Amino acid sequence: MDTLNELLNGFAAAMTWQNLLFAFLGCLLGTVIGVLPGIGPVAGVALLIPLTMNLDATGAIIMLCAIFYGTAYGGTITSVLLNTPGEAASAITTIDGYAMTKIGKAGAALTIAAVGSFVGGTVATIGLVAAAKPLGELGLLVGPPEFFALMVVGISLLVALAGKSMVKAVISGALGLLIAMVGIDPVAGAPRFTFGMDRLLDGVSFVAVIVGVFGLSELLSYRKGDQPAAVHAPNFRSLLPTGNEWRRSAPAMARGTGIGFGLGLIPGMTGSVSSLLAYGAEKKFSRHRSELGKGAIEGVAGPETANNSHANAALIPLFTLGIPASPTIAVLMGAFLQQGLTPGPTLFTEHSEIAWAIIASLFIGNLLLLLLNVPLVGLWTSILRVPSSILTALILLFMVIGAYTINFSVFDVFVMIGFGLLGLALRHLDIPLAPMVLTLVLGPLMERSLRESLEISQGDFSIFTSRPISAVLIGLGLLIVFSPLLKLRKPKALNEDPET
Amino acid sequence: MTTESVTTTTASTVRVAPSVLAGIGAFAAVGAYVLVTSVDLGLWTSLGPGPGLFPFAMGAVLVAMAVVWLFQELRRPSQTAEGVDRGLVIAVALSLVVLAAVLDLLGFQLSMFLFLMYHLKLRGRRGWPSSLITALAGSVGAFYAFNYGLNVSLPVSAFPLLNTIGL
Amino acid sequence: MKTRSRIAAALAAASLIALTGCGANAGATNASAGDFPKKGKTIDLVVAFSSGGAVDTAARLIQPILEKELGTNVEVINKPGAGGQIGYTQLTSAKPDGYTIGATGSPSVVVSPLDPARGAKYTRDSFQPLGRQVIDPTVIAVQPDSPYTTLKELLDAAKANPKSLTASTTGLQTGEHFALAQIQENTGSEFAPVHFSEGASQATTAFLGKHVDVLVANVSDVTDLTKQGKARVLGVMTSERAPSLPDVPTFKEAGYDLEAGTVRGYSAPAGLPDEVAKKLEAAIKTAIEDPTVKEKMSALGLQTSYLSGEDYKQFWAGQEEDFKKVLPLVQKTD
Repeated sequence: MDTLNELLNGFAAAMTWQNLLFAFLGCLLGTVIGVLPGIGPVAGVALLIPLTMNLDATGAIIMLCAIFYGTAYGGTITSVLLNTPGEAASAITTIDGYAMTKIGKAGAALTIAAVGSFVGGTVATIGLVAAAKPLGELGLLVGPPEFFALMVVGISLLVALAGKSMVKAVISGALGLLIAMVGIDPVAGAPRFTFGMDRLLDGVSFVAVIVGVFGLSELLSYRKGDQPAAVHAPNFRSLLPTGNEWRRSAPAMARGTGIGFGLGLIPGMTGSVSSLLAYGAEKKFSRHRSELGKGAIEGVAGPETANNSHANAALIPLFTLGIPASPTIAVLMGAFLQQGLTPGPTLFTEHSEIAWAIIASLFIGNLLLLLLNVPLVGLWTSILRVPSSILTALILLFMVIGAYTINFSVFDVFVMIGFGLLGLALRHLDIPLAPMVLTLVLGPLMERSLRESLEISQGDFSIFTSRPISAVLIGLGLLIVFSPLLKLRKPKALNEDPET
Repeated sequence: MTTESVTTTTASTVRVAPSVLAGIGAFAAVGAYVLVTSVDLGLWTSLGPGPGLFPFAMGAVLVAMAVVWLFQELRRPSQTAEGVDRGLVIAVALSLVVLAAVLDLLGFQLSMFLFLMYHLKLRGRRGWPSSLITALAGSVGAFYAFNYGLNVSLPVSAFPLLNTIGL
Repeated sequence: MKTRSRIAAALAAASLIALTGCGANAGATNASAGDFPKKGKTIDLVVAFSSGGAVDTAARLIQPILEKELGTNVEVINKPGAGGQIGYTQLTSAKPDGYTIGATGSPSVVVSPLDPARGAKYTRDSFQPLGRQVIDPTVIAVQPDSPYTTLKELLDAAKANPKSLTASTTGLQTGEHFALAQIQENTGSEFAPVHFSEGASQATTAFLGKHVDVLVANVSDVTDLTKQGKARVLGVMTSERAPSLPDVPTFKEAGYDLEAGTVRGYSAPAGLPDEVAKKLEAAIKTAIEDPTVKEKMSALGLQTSYLSGEDYKQFWAGQEEDFKKVLPLVQKTD
């Protein structure tokens, strides 16, 4: 087959010493960027572009792509070990990831995350090879009404995240939505709840909120005698997941891959949406869903796989249509252009060898990421052996730098502190944090797409039901919300088989 | 579905915990505030929801949920988690606030050095050598690493005097 | 004892917070204009947008040349937020001694002081333009299978059936929105604007997915699309045909005297000493017209179109007039 031929040629080109080195360096740098606070993937890729200017086009792009999906993994490391997300998409991993660290299973969490990332990334790249063009076009079918419908599905998963008390979950969700509304509204361009402050015109910074609500509040909630996980530095045995954990992760990884891939195709979807929805899906569909929140491996496997699957799938619109699906990819696209390559269909006709070399290196890079990080799990987890007072101080240092460098402003540090205190209050009142994060991420997307849809239809709400895709999705969302009411019998636990 | 809380009759289970009441009150208050102010933003335009609609809805939800929660509490008061360690919260929160306040004034290196020393030596009661080394690494070390390694500029002092010694 | 020390700490903190406000702006000392710039003293180039974007990229391209010309360090500082307002506020509140300059892009810098609701703390006069770098004209494009083949056909249709055609913008009161308003006011046509606040790529995506009828964008956005046959550009809003779109008539040629586009340049806070201004302008001119810079800019799809500080100032004033006229149209009246 023609494509297979081209791919094989691509592999040959990608496996030169230089290109392998570039891919490796990219993975390494990407992971480090993901770990470091303050450098999100966007800034990280942008900062490293000058480094790649002197390389040939293929090598430069290989390295930049590797950095890109490397950051998706790097953010996980701090989420799991330090309860501080290195980047937005890793936010949801802190819940079960850090819980696993607290019971001494940090190594298992990181390993599963690495493997899940590999699986997700590789499957997505296979998708790129197999069906890039049709998939790219599929992404285009999602217009504002379909986007809105997807958000409805997402928010309906809030019900799944509810846990014990629906009332508290709804409060959490409402809070998240309200926080998301601070700033200039997309409808009339008027400031909402900004109290006259310039800094709030863009809204409250998501990373500052997350670092505060998850990381800082956890720190503040320690009672006398608690140590931040230094006690639970794992020995070598517990670095690897148990057979049971591998088995449990498999379905989670499958779900995560699907969700991440599907959402990655849609321009405008960020990685955080994928990891959030994957977590929601685990809460809804996993056999062990009752353990989520206390250190269930699915809570790491699902979101992490989704995250990497998303990152790799998001390259599809770039390669096939020349459309950047997210700010990070837009920066990547800038690098393409500076190297004289125009992403899009012309890339395959004018620079076919380069295009296929890059695609081949995506496979290689995902593998390198795995090979790089699994052995390093031991190294990363040894961070936990640091005495707890130093660890606390370092975590605080991380958080401050992370918050400050969002906008190079002290304001965001104050935001982080404020939300740390809020998070503390919420923990004390037993109000779940996950719904708040869900609405914080999805809320603005939902409001924006609602408004765009109504501008297209000039105020006619039937646009949502007259278009097939959005009608189906909205139906799905409603189904998810009302399904608990429709079930006549509460589903039996784990191994009980109701029939025979 | 609410799980049955283990009903051990310890001293004050009949009463609603004051912190819970405070929480309910706070949410109700925020909800009411949002409800009122969002009307001004406009609830509906010719093309659909106005800027005030979602906040209005959320404000209403908060108030409603706060009321429901109150009733739930009155029927069966929940056992709140053990109290927070006030000393810890104040120490950490306050030190962070001070840090953020002086960050632009004294520059990153000096502010962070003082901050780290406070947490390592005073609160953590570590020895001088390990505190100093860690604090220096975290302040001066981090500053140079970010500045030259990653081209990310952390704040320098606003005082020219400190500028000349590289802070 | 503990309480007292806590109160003391709280008081100290409060006073420090009060001082924080001072911290942000203290700094630059007086330098006599004659020996500007002092070697070793860094000049800050404030970019009101995040790194990696077009404005930031352009600034980083001229930075090394500015350093060479001025003989001292030039540091690019990103202060993103509020569509440029945060960075512009920082630029205009800095001391006009030449050690702080900034990238100014329109329409953001022209529009933000005009709308009182945004509460901008600066006006056009707070800036001293130093030089214009590029102008990226606005274009109007339709679907490749659209029944309209000329600009006139499209505008007449929009006039006959108001709001029957959807047109994209990149948000309320953005360049595209103003351009659309200008067109509507001038020709009597009426479109249904759809605002894609995530930017040009979101608008382009929606257009490619056939969710909107008309794409309002810049030349650099559509060049590639026309090559692939995915869009039909009907007109470009500039006085001369765009070099990368030689077959597209200008609005003027079609009979509508309208110009619009995104403009990027550099300015300082108003009130520079003459000598300082001269030196900065000369350095910026050299940087903008440097062949490598020009080449890299055109690789990004941007045509260098230099204007001196004075000319840029007049151009800016003209743009403000244009925008003021249509401002009521772009402000929601509902």
